[in-house]
Amino acid sequence: MSEGPNLGSLLIEHLYLARKLRSLKIHFAPERCKGLWQCYEVCPVGCWTPDYDVRCVVFHHGERCIACGACVLQCPEKAIELR
Amino acid sequence: MATVFMKWLERRPADYDRGIRMLTLGRLEAMQHQIVETLIHEGTRVLEIGCGTGALTVAMAKAGAKVSAIDISPGMLAEAAKRIENDDVEGRIDLQRMDAVMIDELFNPQSFDLIVSSLALSEMTERGRRHILRAARNLLTPDGKLAVLDEAKPASMRDRLLFTIVRAPLRLLTWLLTRTATQPLVNFEGVLSNSGFDCEVLSTKLAGSLRFYLATPVDQDESERKPEMFRGRLTGGRTLRTVLIDLWTSLLRIIPPYPQVKPGVYAVGEPGRESPLLVTGNFELTVRRLVRAIERDVDAWILVVDSAGINVWCAAGGGFLTADKIIGALHISGLSEYLQHHALILPQLCANGVEGWRIREQTGWGVHWGPARADDIPDYLVRGRKKTDDMRWVQFPLRDRLEMTTVTLGFYALLILIPIAIFWHGIFWPTLIAIAALSLFYAVTLPWLPGRDGLAKSLPLVLIALVGMLLYSALWDSASVDILFARAIGVTALSVFIAAELQGMSPLMRGEQANWGWEAIIGGLLGLAYWLVPSVLGWR
Repeated sequence: MSEGPNLGSLLIEHLYLARKLRSLKIHFAPERCKGLWQCYEVCPVGCWTPDYDVRCVVFHHGERCIACGACVLQCPEKAIELR
Repeated sequence: MATVFMKWLERRPADYDRGIRMLTLGRLEAMQHQIVETLIHEGTRVLEIGCGTGALTVAMAKAGAKVSAIDISPGMLAEAAKRIENDDVEGRIDLQRMDAVMIDELFNPQSFDLIVSSLALSEMTERGRRHILRAARNLLTPDGKLAVLDEAKPASMRDRLLFTIVRAPLRLLTWLLTRTATQPLVNFEGVLSNSGFDCEVLSTKLAGSLRFYLATPVDQDESERKPEMFRGRLTGGRTLRTVLIDLWTSLLRIIPPYPQVKPGVYAVGEPGRESPLLVTGNFELTVRRLVRAIERDVDAWILVVDSAGINVWCAAGGGFLTADKIIGALHISGLSEYLQHHALILPQLCANGVEGWRIREQTGWGVHWGPARADDIPDYLVRGRKKTDDMRWVQFPLRDRLEMTTVTLGFYALLILIPIAIFWHGIFWPTLIAIAALSLFYAVTLPWLPGRDGLAKSLPLVLIALVGMLLYSALWDSASVDILFARAIGVTALSVFIAAELQGMSPLMRGEQANWGWEAIIGGLLGLAYWLVPSVLGWR
């Protein structure tokens, strides 16, 4: 019986993580963007597009995001968050 | 007290020889004997780097050589001088105290037929060693030879362990006597080849940790030099081994140990000092696919970085392929000195774990994100390291879907089918056929099934599977209600499982860990229904 509660809490933890993973969204602070285009270079699903006129990326197609975190990691200005 | 200590210090060079002989169990002497026997003739001009107490020096002189012997330690040299006097070979030996890195200043080019060094190179720094080897090449006559006896780090794990054990006392003694820590040679063949030598290992002793390298200078212009950690050329050719590995990885890829390539620098085609440098992980399949994708069009260097044998994307996501690993691999590769450009091309899909800007800051190298697929690399290079959006975006085409289905099911089918074969063999073939048909169907129709993730897509798959099962039952056998119910439960469970598990293999959906909880709950509910419903409805 000792495994009962462990299995249960494991399951609940998994369900919680699953919900979190599903609900992760990109939060972008455009005022920090210096136009290095790193997010655009690495995004595998095309969420980012450079706007060369204002040297700032545009985030769109949020529905395509797979929460891989590449853009967050590659931005040296920490302009992108995933939460 | 102080006097005693001084006395001990004075005695140390004499003890040194005995200590070494004891610790290397006479093997070093045997190797030195081999040098005298095979390489020394009457009148051979020899430079001995690090003569120590002069045991080899005297032996060579006695065999007829004219020896210039150098050492940096006055104590050692005094001991050597004593020995030379005793053995009466004074006229044939010239002792000098100097740092070995000065040999190019103090001796004339092409003035030696043989340069020997016994347990000395491992007491020097990497950089000093490299300098000495290049200098030695210039001091040798064109058909001269370089003989090195030294400690080397063995390649295999087992030998490395043995090596550490064997080496511990020697290390302690060397430190006590000379206050230097020895650095066993690593990939010395590569270092020699980079310094303009062709090299063979004539003999090895003590689990491969003590080696006798014999090197001959080769004509080589700068452009033919290879980077230090150069491990060889890679081709995409198929051998029995690669076919077996391909078979294994196409069915059971997710079971460790993963087939790996040794980290290091490899050549594809005939790269030179201006060729591009591509970084990748050390999963064998990754490396092979990269090589096959580029070998027809591109001459390139590949820096294979230790990713624990995992593919680039998963290794980066799981923390096995990191910026620090790449920085370290680059540092020891010797590529900074070798390549004329300093531009790294990273696989785009390691961007989820490797901070490009950190590599840029720490190494000063330019970091470029290559295309998502290796097949696009030739095109990417032709465009001057520019990507089109197509090269940037991952797809999940039918081919990949089928491959990933096989990979997932290769493992899980075993997990499901083995117990069934043992305990419930009556339904083995139907289950096998159901698994194969469902996953094949799912792989083909995936993009058109409604729903954003595997769990959502499992619902339409369940419906289709139920319809298929009912059709089969209606057309080919008239099963009773309870059999139909059992089949429905089984088909539903398989559908949910297959749909949910493929999510982790798809680059277009979020991680499959998200589904484990729900799979467990759905599985539990189905199991409950399987046991409860028949008894409630009175079928059993």
